[in-house]
Amino acid sequence: MKLQKLEEIRPKIKALQSMPTVPAIVQPLSAMLQLPSDRVDMDRVVKLVSYDGTIAAQCLRMANSPLFGRRNTETVKSAVLALGLKRVQAILLSCCLNQIVPQDKWALEPTTFWRHSLGCALVSNRLANLIQYPDPEKAYLAGLLHDLGILVNTIVCTDEYRECIRAAASNHIPLLQSEEQHLGFTHCQTGKILAAQWNFSPEVIEVIEYHHNIASAPAGRPLVYLVHLSDLLCRLRDLGYGYYEAMGVNLGEDQAWAMLVETCPALAKVDMARLTMDIDGAMEEIVTIVDAVFKPQHAPAE
Amino acid sequence: MTADISKTGQETPQDLRDPAYLKIRDLIYQTSGIYQPEEKLYLLASRCARRMSAVKMTTPAAYLEFLNNRANRDTELRLMLNEITIGETYMFRSPSQLDAIRNVILPQIVESKNKMGFKRLRLWSAGCSTGEEPYTLAMFLLEESAKQLAGWTFDILATDLNDNSIAAAKAGIYGEYSLRSTSDALRKKYFKTYDDKRLQAADQLKSLIRFDRVNLNDDSKMTFLKGIDIIFCCNVLIYFDLVSKRKVMQHFFSNLLPGGYLFLGHAESLYQVDDRFHLVHFPGSIGYWKPPVGYNAGDKR
Repeated sequence: MKLQKLEEIRPKIKALQSMPTVPAIVQPLSAMLQLPSDRVDMDRVVKLVSYDGTIAAQCLRMANSPLFGRRNTETVKSAVLALGLKRVQAILLSCCLNQIVPQDKWALEPTTFWRHSLGCALVSNRLANLIQYPDPEKAYLAGLLHDLGILVNTIVCTDEYRECIRAAASNHIPLLQSEEQHLGFTHCQTGKILAAQWNFSPEVIEVIEYHHNIASAPAGRPLVYLVHLSDLLCRLRDLGYGYYEAMGVNLGEDQAWAMLVETCPALAKVDMARLTMDIDGAMEEIVTIVDAVFKPQHAPAE
Repeated sequence: MTADISKTGQETPQDLRDPAYLKIRDLIYQTSGIYQPEEKLYLLASRCARRMSAVKMTTPAAYLEFLNNRANRDTELRLMLNEITIGETYMFRSPSQLDAIRNVILPQIVESKNKMGFKRLRLWSAGCSTGEEPYTLAMFLLEESAKQLAGWTFDILATDLNDNSIAAAKAGIYGEYSLRSTSDALRKKYFKTYDDKRLQAADQLKSLIRFDRVNLNDDSKMTFLKGIDIIFCCNVLIYFDLVSKRKVMQHFFSNLLPGGYLFLGHAESLYQVDDRFHLVHFPGSIGYWKPPVGYNAGDKR
């Protein structure tokens, strides 16, 4: 397999900007996601949601899922209210991103990818609440988008990337390692380029760039550490890349954990097994939600 | 009577929001190490419902008070734990544990022992009950002996406090319930027909396992067990108080070889029991690792 250099691939990523498949609402959406909640225009969000039938259906499905009390939400507006503005915007964004990958190009199963991404978002959000990180919704968004580069790689080098994922799966090794071997660049690098192009917030860009390499991140970036840990937790449970990664991880000795403890000393006393079991307990629910949102449904929602 | 709701485990959310459930959950965790996360509270609630109806308490708060009453506490907690850990065991009950051993732990052990030219593996099922776990391990090791354990010798120690359990384990006769997760291929390879409903473990399996009655509280016997690579101790420690738990863990720690692992039951934790073991996450399971002498947390394993 010949190695491709990041520089060779850069123009192809640039071209994604003008791809006809990139929904026009991605840009205004990501700008809106950076606003504080009280400045977001509710009617505008409802309008954006209604703009696309699939997205509206997905919001309704999520609002009707057990996590949100399984109420019978019928209108888009009540779904938005039930889910919360930020959550809806995040769904919108992921649905838009889902559409930039042509059906026949997916290297990972789309449901596998979104299970991992949405799973990581929900775990990041939960972890943020557990450790009292001041902005759990930002953690949610960062978790959702941390693997943006996987979509980029899928589009710009489809065949090589399929091979790369196949190799990772059959050797039970991390995807990142396989990318380094087969492509010569990683989803962290390509994701960062596209995220910068799309004007994502600097904090989210940092998460995309450093979630596998926290040692290189600028100092004091709890969001990067948080998503790094959530990503690991998801891959150690049923929310990874759809294959078995042979790994044993001592989270308490993970550098990210040590750095989070520095920002939040109370964490040193956290019962790690209990925290894990809390997240384990949530996994089943997370899987249900992800499937409700992203799996093709045979029966219409009640 | 409230017992019926336990069938479905589907209480109304309003019941689950009763703060008494969280207090009962924490009480169980403090005394046994068994943890019920928020999302599994409905399970706890259905178990409570069974116990509540048995002791004629109508609300979770009343039951909590009953549990906290010194006169009832020990007995009732034990009965409650019986409800929580209910269900006979069966073979291949924890596939993710076996995956972790196959894919992560054995390669580590094989690498370090190969260096010393010491190709021997020793597992211990501490609290083996009627033998499902040690026979699972025996099949697992025999299957691996065709792969990464080629040329290795191994033995399995299977102990329990209960004489009847040990006798049943030695006999190795199992019905469909115990074998429900055992593939036809493995049944054919490692079992013989006992009667029209049951199979019996073949001598090939039995010869790998040494059954013995051991009380984990018995210091003299515990000190004697050495050189273990992996210990399995599932839902046994929950019946010990903190002091005895700590003592058992001290024994386990010295029973294990450096770099060895301890596996507990699902949802069981060692928090505040022993901090020398390192908690390690594997896909789908967690284990406790005994670091080698001179291990430095900063070093990459």
